Amino acid sequence: MDRTAGLSMAVPAARRRRGLRRAERLLGVVMLAPALLYIVLLVAVPFLLAVFLSLTNSSAGSLEFSFVGLQNFKNVMASPVFQRALRNTFTFTLISQVTVIFLGNVLARALLKRFRGKSLARFLILMPWAAPISLATLSWLWIFDSTFSVINWLLKVAGWLGPGQWYYWLGDPTLGMVAIITVHVWRMLPFSTVILLAGLTSIPNEVHEAADLDGAGPLGKTIWITIPMMLPILTVALLFGVVFTFTDMSVVYLLTRGGPYNSTHVLASLAFQDGVLGGDVGRGASVAIFLLPVLVILAVTMLRVSRRAEVA
Amino acid sequence: MHTRRSFLKGAVAATAAVAAGPTILVRDARAAGQLKILQWSHFVPAYDKWFDPWAKEWGSKHGVDVTVDHVGFADVVPRATAEVAAQSGHDIHMFLGLASAFEEHVIDLADVVTSLEKKYGKPVELARRSTYNPFTKKQFALSDMWVPDPGNYHKEVWTKIGMPNGPVTYDDLVKAAPEIKKVAPQMQIPIGVGLSQDIDSNMAVRNILWCHGGSIQDKDGNVVLNSPETLRALEYTKKLYSVGMTQAVLSWNAASNNQAFNAQETAYILNSISAYRTAQDNKLPVLENYFFTPALKGPTGIQLASEHVMSGYVVWKFSKNQDVAKEFLVALVDASRDSMLGSKLYNFPSFYGAAADPGTPPPKKQESGAAWIAAQCNKDPFGSAPADKLALLAKSLPWSTNLGYPGYANPAEGEMFDTYVITDMFAKAATGAMAPKDAMLEANTRARQIFDKWRAKKMVGGGGKDK
Repeated sequence: MDRTAGLSMAVPAARRRRGLRRAERLLGVVMLAPALLYIVLLVAVPFLLAVFLSLTNSSAGSLEFSFVGLQNFKNVMASPVFQRALRNTFTFTLISQVTVIFLGNVLARALLKRFRGKSLARFLILMPWAAPISLATLSWLWIFDSTFSVINWLLKVAGWLGPGQWYYWLGDPTLGMVAIITVHVWRMLPFSTVILLAGLTSIPNEVHEAADLDGAGPLGKTIWITIPMMLPILTVALLFGVVFTFTDMSVVYLLTRGGPYNSTHVLASLAFQDGVLGGDVGRGASVAIFLLPVLVILAVTMLRVSRRAEVA
Repeated sequence: MHTRRSFLKGAVAATAAVAAGPTILVRDARAAGQLKILQWSHFVPAYDKWFDPWAKEWGSKHGVDVTVDHVGFADVVPRATAEVAAQSGHDIHMFLGLASAFEEHVIDLADVVTSLEKKYGKPVELARRSTYNPFTKKQFALSDMWVPDPGNYHKEVWTKIGMPNGPVTYDDLVKAAPEIKKVAPQMQIPIGVGLSQDIDSNMAVRNILWCHGGSIQDKDGNVVLNSPETLRALEYTKKLYSVGMTQAVLSWNAASNNQAFNAQETAYILNSISAYRTAQDNKLPVLENYFFTPALKGPTGIQLASEHVMSGYVVWKFSKNQDVAKEFLVALVDASRDSMLGSKLYNFPSFYGAAADPGTPPPKKQESGAAWIAAQCNKDPFGSAPADKLALLAKSLPWSTNLGYPGYANPAEGEMFDTYVITDMFAKAATGAMAPKDAMLEANTRARQIFDKWRAKKMVGGGGKDK
């Protein structure tokens, strides 16, 4: 083959490669576009809108507004209801996440074992995750009802509650928070269990066998093998749970509507009450984005941890 | 011969025809007129069974395709917020009480009200005060009906304590509570007045406030919550809570007081007749002891109760069917008799004249309508025993008032209602979570913030005499 013929063949090949590269790039853009569009339209735009609205006196029944600077933030920070909701948000998140991780671990370990009816157990554990929250909370509403609580009737029959004694689950600020945390833990537990189960099964058996040969006991294996090897996935589960809990309002809204006397609100439910029900969109937006700095730090940490987990 | 190209052509043409078919049908329907209505799922389900076919029938008579969508009462305001933001949705939106916050986005219905007034006379005053803004001079909504809010009492229990006709004053509740505990120890909550973040509690605490001489605003829209009268109402509620209530009332939702009364777990609640109709439908044991009292009197002698529901139909500015919507609303008022019967006497006409006997001359219509309403209440066509059990409802107008009393139901009052500022004040004072005075001052501060905000938007008057 002469040189000219070689060149004449090389040119179309190079063109083809360039064409392929261009097509690949185009395909990449096309494939990414729906996700990007989704993020821009349903995440970025509403988020920026919320930041914008928090600086205005916008109300629900009006499309007109004027800028009020940080006045909404000043007003909400001075409000005792907001201060209580802020405290509740942290309490709610902390207690529910610690409980979810602990119980999720117990369940995941139990599901690692072989036993009769394991698939049924798995199905039942996953049920709360699949059930619509509004439907599930309605059932819980009856369980915790202040007048007809099933728990109270059982406690009465068991002799725990004497004559005249009664727990007003949703009528007492502390018991109200207990009820909210209980339902949230019930709801989040399957997610945590599945993630932790995946983490546990990913630890090779050889590692445990080697530790057995070295004479490590169950506690030693947990501290030196399981926890370090599960740490990345545990952190991801925890961070997902924390972000989800920080921003969730459904359980509070459906169970107590923030009562009694606005004592069980979290920031998300208070934002809904003020911004949507009360019509003060500016105030509602300022309550909703108050935790933005905390959530940004959490999100960055989450991304870093997941990258580290990927590398590991 | 069919080629691949011709097959593709045929397929495209068929697909286009299938896709365009419904559009063509929709366009035909639109040409004849279309009306989309959003309203609540009525507390008495029988009403929806009357309303939906009636609206459809009205549509078919007038060549209009009518669609009725129902939402739970708690979703009425969020849905309106969403539709305003989207500037699209239904043509007519029904509010339960305070539509005033949406005034800017609804058309003025003054012409509709004027024509109805010519036909039937003035609407009841509480309906006018709930649908008209004197500050902007806009008739932002039309009320076709309102609902009285009597006391519901357990006859047997109250008879045992020597009050067979139930309580008359707020003081009676305090006196009766310890006695009820003695004669009916199985009842968990002797007096079931809600103090929670729900619609019924919102009305109940306002009743207590007004009957003790207090109010959120005065007749001109000045904030006057910080007053000795409010303090007296809070101290009274604290006393009532300690002798006759439990923490259950702090957690109640709109259905809880109904459920507690129907389960005979309380001897007194404030509610419309929906709970009673439920007891009737289900033949509950409480039925024979289910009786009603008028609003209670406070120490001032004031006897007032908030309306339980006040319909406020608005027509959005973005609606393309405004004229049809107005015609529909007129027809709805015309059908006031059917509406009252459809709701099993739950709805009371806002235009009493619309319930008049056919053929009555206009000046006599209100009188005739009132007589017809009284006749229904005096002999309940829905099987009350005794038949005059609901007779007191016919005389409920003098002791019924609007949210916002003694002023108008303005958007500031609406925000106070929807963010539970007043129920919180009462609950905190009643439970001792705060001293009554501190609870009052906290609520007053919030009230002033809310009123100031709406004044800045030029939708609420007053301000010069805020306390």
